[in-house]
Amino acid sequence: MEAAQKTSDDKPVFSEYDYSNFYYGAGDDPLNLLRPYADWYRESRPAGYYLYMEALETAPTTRVRVKDGKTGEVRDLLNLASYNYLGISYRPEVKKAAHDAIDHYGLGASGSPILSGTFDVHEQFQKELAAFKDKEAVVLFPTGYSANVGFISALMRSGDTIFLDQYSHASIVDGAILAKSKTVFFRHNNPLDLERKLTGVKGKKLVVVEGVYSMDGDICVLPEILEIAKRHGARILIDEAHSTFLFGPNGRGVAEHFGVDKEVDFHLGTFSKSLGGQGGFVAGSKELCDYVIAFARSRFFSCNLSPVLTAGLLAGLRIAQNEPQLRAKLWSNCAFLRRRFAEEGVDIGKSNSQVMPVMVNNDSRVLQVAEKIQQRGLFLNPVTYPAVPKHKSRLRISVSAAHTEQELEMAVQTIAGVLREEGVCRA
Amino acid sequence: MPGITRYGYRDAISGFFEFPTENARRVLPRGFEPVEVHHGTSILAVTVFDFNESEVGEYGEVVYAVIVPPLVRDTRLPKSAFFPWQVATTTKAAREHAIGRWHLPHWMDDVKVDFIREKGKTTAKVEADGAPALELVVTDHSWQPVSHLYQSFQKDDSGTYLANILFEGDKSEHEEEAGKIVLHENAFNKDIQISEVFDTPFRELWMRNGCQLFDPLAQIEGK
Repeated sequence: MEAAQKTSDDKPVFSEYDYSNFYYGAGDDPLNLLRPYADWYRESRPAGYYLYMEALETAPTTRVRVKDGKTGEVRDLLNLASYNYLGISYRPEVKKAAHDAIDHYGLGASGSPILSGTFDVHEQFQKELAAFKDKEAVVLFPTGYSANVGFISALMRSGDTIFLDQYSHASIVDGAILAKSKTVFFRHNNPLDLERKLTGVKGKKLVVVEGVYSMDGDICVLPEILEIAKRHGARILIDEAHSTFLFGPNGRGVAEHFGVDKEVDFHLGTFSKSLGGQGGFVAGSKELCDYVIAFARSRFFSCNLSPVLTAGLLAGLRIAQNEPQLRAKLWSNCAFLRRRFAEEGVDIGKSNSQVMPVMVNNDSRVLQVAEKIQQRGLFLNPVTYPAVPKHKSRLRISVSAAHTEQELEMAVQTIAGVLREEGVCRA
Repeated sequence: MPGITRYGYRDAISGFFEFPTENARRVLPRGFEPVEVHHGTSILAVTVFDFNESEVGEYGEVVYAVIVPPLVRDTRLPKSAFFPWQVATTTKAAREHAIGRWHLPHWMDDVKVDFIREKGKTTAKVEADGAPALELVVTDHSWQPVSHLYQSFQKDDSGTYLANILFEGDKSEHEEEAGKIVLHENAFNKDIQISEVFDTPFRELWMRNGCQLFDPLAQIEGK
C-alpha cells in the first residue's frame, strides 16, 4: 500500500495533531481541510476541547452556572475565568443605566459612528473617559480588537516598520499585517533585544507594547522600552487592555503607574476587561483622534457601540473612578493568591498582575488537568497554542475584586490538589 | 512492495526551530510559502539521520528544510510537510542516489556526521569543509512505535515534485524541550541568519530502529 493511501482507520488521531495542523494546506480546494479537521475535532472535543465555549447561564459574578460541554449538566462553579476585574458589569448602577438606555434608545446604534450611529451618550462617555485618561480626546471602537487593528493600520503604511513584542495580542499582529508595514518581533519584554532590532532601521518606526500581557500577566518594562524607543526615534503605543482602570494612582494604567503617561505617544484600551463590558478606545490629542476617526477602517465601517452598552460603560467608568477601594481589594486578592500559590508550589510564571497563569507546559495534559479542576468546582479555561507558544499551556486565572479570600483559598486548594495528583507541582 | 524505496536507520533526530519568515522565503522557490508559527516567524527543520540500510549502503545525512503546507487531497493527513533546501551526506554514492531519485539539492562535498549517544540524549555533530557546521541535541522521554506520514516537496528546472514518506520506528517526542541547536559560522550555513534562529526547539523528535518508506516521486507541476 502506498504511504499516502487513505484507509478507513486513517482519521487524524487527537493526540498526534493540534489546531496548527489544520490551518495550512496546499491543494486545489479551499474546503480540503474541513473533513480532516472535522474528523479530528470529533475525537478531540470529548477528550477536553469541550471545555472551550461552555455556555454560562448566569451573570459572570464569582459564582456561575455553567452548562457542561460534554454532559450538558448545569453546574454551579467558582468563576476564575471572566475578566470583570473590578466586578462592575453586574453592579445595580450599571444595570439600571443600561435598562434606562434601552427604554430610551432601543437596542442598537443602527449606524456607523461617522454617519447615524453616534448618540449623545457616546459623546458623554468619550468626554468623561478623556478626562479620566487625562487626554484631550477619545475615540471609541466596537471592540478592543478593532481598536488595535484600526489604529495601527490607520497610522502605519507599507515601507514603515512596526516592532512588536513576541507575545503581542493577535489584534496588534493583525493590525501590523493590515498596515502592510514590515513587522519585527523582539523577545518578550526584552529592551536589549528591542534595541538590537531598532538599530540602523530608517523611516517611520512604531514600537507596540502591552501594559499587562494577557496570557502571562507580567507588566511591561515600560520605562526601559520607552527610553530605547525615544533614542531611536520610534513612536510608542501602549495597549492597556488589561491595565486600564487598575494600575496607577488614578487607575489610568501602567503608563501612569510608571509615571511616564505623558511620554507615551498612543494609549489604547478596552472596556471588556475591568468594566466587564465591550468595546475599545484610543486616547490622545484631538489631532490624533481626528485622524483616527478619518482613517481607522475597522471603526469607520462598523456599527457604533450600542447606546445601551455605552450607558452601562459610562456608569461603570464612574464607579471605577469613584471607588478606588475596588482596586485596593483587587491587589489585596492578588497578593493573597500569589502568596498561597507560592506556598503550595504552584508555578504562576512571571505574573505580577491580576492575570495569573497556572503553568502546565504540556499541550495535551493541560486539558486533562482543566477537566479535573472543573469537575471539582472551578470554572477556569485552559489556554494552548496558538494563544500561547507551543508547550507553554496553562490555565489562566482572572482575579476579581469581587472574589472573597475564602473563594480564593478554595481555588488554591483545588488547583494545587489536582496539580499534585497530576505531578505538575511538588507534593 | 513495488515502487517503495526503503531506508533503514539506527537514529533519526530532528528539531523544529523558529526563524524569520524572510529567511524562509529566501530559501524557498517561487510557489512555496512557509508555514508560520506566528506572523513573521517560520520553522526551520533540522534532521540528522544515521542510516544503516539503503540501496547505497550505510551513511549519515543532514537535512535543512522549511516547514510548508502539506498537499491535502483524499489521502491521510500528513503530520508535516517539508521543503528541503540543503541535504548533505557522508558518501558520494548516497548523494548521487538522492539527487537522481529525489531531485534533492545537495551540499556537493561529503560531510562528517558523528552521533554521540548518551543516557537520555543524543547529539549529532556535523562537520563541513573540515570545520564544525552544527550540533543538534535531542533528549528522550517515552518510546512508542509509530507510523507517520510526512510529505517532502522539491522543485528544480524539470518541475515540482512530491514524495510521500512513511516514517516508522520507535518515537520519542515530548514537550519539555531540553534539546538545542548550535549553528556555526560555516559556508554550510550561509543561507541561515544564525543570530535569528531560536536555539531551543519547539518540537524535538527522536526516532530509532526504524525505516523511511518513500512512495515513488510524483511530479505535481511541469517546468
